[in-house]
Amino acid sequence: MEIGSMVAVTLVQIAVVMGVVLLTVAYMTYAERKVLSFMQDRLGPMEVGPWGLLQPIADGLKLFFKEDIIPSGANKIIFAVAPIICLVPALIGFAVIPYNGSFTLFGLEGGGVISDLNVGLLYIFAVAGMGAYGVILGGWASNSKYAFLGGLRSAAQIISYELAMGFSIVGVLLLSGSLSLVTVTEAQAGTWFGFIPQWNIFLQPVAFVAYVIAAVAETNRLPFDMPEAESELVAGFFTEYSGMRFSLFFLAEYGNMILVSCLASILFLGGYKAPLPILEFIPGFVWLALKTWALLFFFIWIRGTYPRVRFDQLMKFGWKVLIPVTLANLLVTALGVYIYNN
Amino acid sequence: MGLIRNIFMTELLMGLKIVFMQMFKPTITLQYPHVKHPIPDGYRGLMSLLRYEDGTERCVGCSLCEAACPSNCIKVVSDEVPGQPLVRYAREYYLDITRCIFCGFCTEACPVDALAMTKVYEAAVYDRRDLMFDKAKLYELGERYLEDGKAYLTHHRMDDGTLHPVEGLGDNRYHFPAVDAEHGGVQPEQIGLTAEALEVEETTR
Repeated sequence: MEIGSMVAVTLVQIAVVMGVVLLTVAYMTYAERKVLSFMQDRLGPMEVGPWGLLQPIADGLKLFFKEDIIPSGANKIIFAVAPIICLVPALIGFAVIPYNGSFTLFGLEGGGVISDLNVGLLYIFAVAGMGAYGVILGGWASNSKYAFLGGLRSAAQIISYELAMGFSIVGVLLLSGSLSLVTVTEAQAGTWFGFIPQWNIFLQPVAFVAYVIAAVAETNRLPFDMPEAESELVAGFFTEYSGMRFSLFFLAEYGNMILVSCLASILFLGGYKAPLPILEFIPGFVWLALKTWALLFFFIWIRGTYPRVRFDQLMKFGWKVLIPVTLANLLVTALGVYIYNN
Repeated sequence: MGLIRNIFMTELLMGLKIVFMQMFKPTITLQYPHVKHPIPDGYRGLMSLLRYEDGTERCVGCSLCEAACPSNCIKVVSDEVPGQPLVRYAREYYLDITRCIFCGFCTEACPVDALAMTKVYEAAVYDRRDLMFDKAKLYELGERYLEDGKAYLTHHRMDDGTLHPVEGLGDNRYHFPAVDAEHGGVQPEQIGLTAEALEVEETTR
């Protein structure tokens, strides 16, 4: 393919993926409010549009027009840059998420992924780690003790759970033998006995549970929302932020949620692969969306169920339970793969 | 068993199940500005002044409401009806709703059931001066919410002013001690006092 059409295809893919991600973020906030409401016998947003469907748009417009306040004593440059440092890693991670198998559209060939890096998983972890800097810098530059404490907690939490998350993924990598997310997905094609899809969740259930717990902690969601524990720290690291800057942090948080959900559905639930051969007429991106939304629903569900854990409980659980369990799982998986291959 | 339960986190899963089932239960939200709760007849809302069915004002300007008001928000200026000596009415009537505590004592004090409370509870305005009700505003409210006012008076076992005597109406009327003294005074059991307690009070006096 000539270079011009390659660039065009890539740009269109980027636009579409970003559009879908941002739309999902917007309606994730709506879905979260609605689902939480129904769990609490309420109705949630009902005023803007039918059943409140236009609520995210109204919220977005409101945030656009809010006054931008920079607290006195804040480090203005870092204060302004921190939300961007936070948001960009959450969005560029989607570059290696395969959303469909190879397809041809209008005579142009698309790979179903913006860029099939051979170290895709490593890339996601590398850029996602950068997001912690935005949180810490934002908390520090606000010149507020609440924001600062929130930033520190967030840093400690992200570092602790990044380890468990990494260990839980290595098992999957051993099974599929690649860091490329496309290869990982393709390795999960087919079924056992004709009705059990060959997904990694059936081979790596412990890793899946550990990954989901670590993902919840990574994205600072309840019950691990220590960094923004509103009863203690007002709002955590973005206490002093308002208007657009605040919404950038918000966008980053939800973008990260969608990213880890996408990753979980690719690594453990077969990504864009249909669960059964009969269902293969449904396009791949629908399957990926379904799986991702199921996980996002789970995120909301546990938010509606569990109370916040204490910070020492959080650390204890991360270091004394999750990391040993994932290490043991890694050992067992490695042995199993070795025996299977010989 | 306990270890297995811990490993599979059964308690956490039970919690998840309960919350999930809760999602399908009917919601109890009332879409307030669009849908409103039914208001009971005895509800103490905004004050209003009522008229008789022939259109004459009920208020005779006796100022008993002014005396009964615990927050001193009523001001009555009474006058003789022109051309009718000894027939009095309220020439001016001021009621400061910003100070009103909606206790309803004024309606109980009124001997002619001119005051009644409506079911209006959305009293927010942009200008606080709009909450200084005068006579015109009170009669306007009374006309607009006449049914509310009648229901209120009936519910509180006062007269509904229709001149049709109803069994039990008037039982709940507030009795001024001075008024009652003219009619033989307050009976001790009426204010929850036994005869012995009353005697003790008199001897100490």
